[in-house]
Amino acid sequence: MTLPTRTRTALLGLAVGVVLADSSVVTIALPKILAQYDVEIETLAWALTSFNLALALSALPAALVSRRRPVPVFAVGVVVFAAASFACAVAPSFGVLVAARSIQGVAGAAVVCAALDLLARTLGADAPAARVWAFAGIAGAAFGPAAGGILTQLLGWESIFVVQVPLILVALLALAGTRAEAVPLRPLERPHLAANAALMLVSGALVAALFLLVILLINGWRLEPLAAGAVVTLMPLAAIAAARYAHAIAPRWVRAASGVILISGGLAALGWLPHAGAAWTVPPQLAIGAGLGLALFALTERALAGRSAQAVHGGWTIAARHAGVVLGLLLLTPIFTADLERNEDEVLAAGTSAVLDSRIPPLDKIAVARNVLVAVDDAKAEARVPDIGEVVGERDDPAYADLASALQDQLDRAATNACSRSFLVAALLGLAALVPILLERREVGL
Amino acid sequence: MRWIASATAASAALVIAYLALGGASYAPAQPADPCVARDWRDPGGFQEVAEQIVLSALDGVACELHVSREEIVLALSSRESFDRFAREQGISDDELEELARSGLVRAVDEAEEADALNPTIADLLRGLARRIPISELLDLLDLLPGGR
Repeated sequence: MTLPTRTRTALLGLAVGVVLADSSVVTIALPKILAQYDVEIETLAWALTSFNLALALSALPAALVSRRRPVPVFAVGVVVFAAASFACAVAPSFGVLVAARSIQGVAGAAVVCAALDLLARTLGADAPAARVWAFAGIAGAAFGPAAGGILTQLLGWESIFVVQVPLILVALLALAGTRAEAVPLRPLERPHLAANAALMLVSGALVAALFLLVILLINGWRLEPLAAGAVVTLMPLAAIAAARYAHAIAPRWVRAASGVILISGGLAALGWLPHAGAAWTVPPQLAIGAGLGLALFALTERALAGRSAQAVHGGWTIAARHAGVVLGLLLLTPIFTADLERNEDEVLAAGTSAVLDSRIPPLDKIAVARNVLVAVDDAKAEARVPDIGEVVGERDDPAYADLASALQDQLDRAATNACSRSFLVAALLGLAALVPILLERREVGL
Repeated sequence: MRWIASATAASAALVIAYLALGGASYAPAQPADPCVARDWRDPGGFQEVAEQIVLSALDGVACELHVSREEIVLALSSRESFDRFAREQGISDDELEELARSGLVRAVDEAEEADALNPTIADLLRGLARRIPISELLDLLDLLPGGR
């Protein structure tokens, strides 16, 4: 039995989307994972880094293997990915979770690289296969945080991984009627360095949009995961809209450069947010989403266009993108952590100042000031912002309401400011991608 | 090139709009300079007067030590944190006591100038400030409301 071309294409695209969504899907669930496993915040980042590092390191070897036998590589990759996803859901310790995430990354590389070859076979040509593959990957990575948020709130963080099991296994149907014979090898061309370097830098910059923004919404501004998921859905929607009309922009290097400029502009705006609140993130998200749709699509197409063998060059783009994610995590995490500590000191001083200048009775000021200290300490241990209701208490006196409002304002300022420098550094990282794009612009096709 | 110009214009407009709305200065408020005298609020009773005298005294000590009033309040959260603060500032208990006394006297002077205290009460408080056992008071910090 062979499925219709459209169905096989959709199933292969689904597999690529599910795997690449895993890059960012657990971001919203990180506080819940932290609460369950009781690990340091610095250690927690390995739930993200392990997957992206394993994917980056395995992409090229997986592509080299799958160019010869894409059908078995895809099948084995899907089954191992499903098993590793289930292991993530039931992991008894953080170490097991990180190990399972690493296996997911290796198996995911096999799935994604083999899918590109299978798409080319299904569609009968390399170019449309590359378009579907790139689109599925971008949509998956961009929708990851939103999907993770919705699942975390409705069913718990483990459901993120449980849901992936049937979603990825159903993609095996795409192999129905496909013969697993070895494919004759085509000569291998060198990778497109400029496009891959630009992909790496853009992906590093997007870490701030796909990871840090989610942390700011949930941990900084106390949005529920569902609400945060809904807020960050704007980005993939803008990306899809931009990718749909991207071909109207030619040549390809102009599309890539325009996208990179929009991403950097959006990230810089997030670095200079004038107030706390999800509404302020809407214009930057639209810019970043549109830029993502233009730049990643154009750069992936450029890295694959006319290059043989396509799956190997697909492997190079996956390696470049996820090396970029790891680079972004390694670069931005220490900046964010240092700024968080600095803002913790500043918000303590600002909060104390608000308490001293308030009009509540003097002896209550001592108690509230101490509550501020305890709440900041407790919140730090649980990677969240303090609950001002607990600090000030429920009272009818307007002086207490004014104090609660002043303390909340200082907390919002501190949470927003703690992310500011990371967003600005990410904007610079994005702008750095213009260098390889502009250096290569004279080449035909980019 | 039209597309690059449009993307640049859109990005610049967004960034400039956010900066114009105060994006570069949206951060926790910085503590006020303790060396600049604050206005006395209209005191509504003895507690308010006493509170403003204490706050003014804290400003005096903070000004001498070149730290903020808030840092001293945070150091006063327990005897342990207070001792740590004294070590960091490199000052002995005697020096701290002297600073606290002069801060209290300065605060009583300011209260008298602001007509919050009559001269007789002010004299009484100044005398008290010069004799009050400050190190014993610090031992009582953990017994104050909210103490751990």
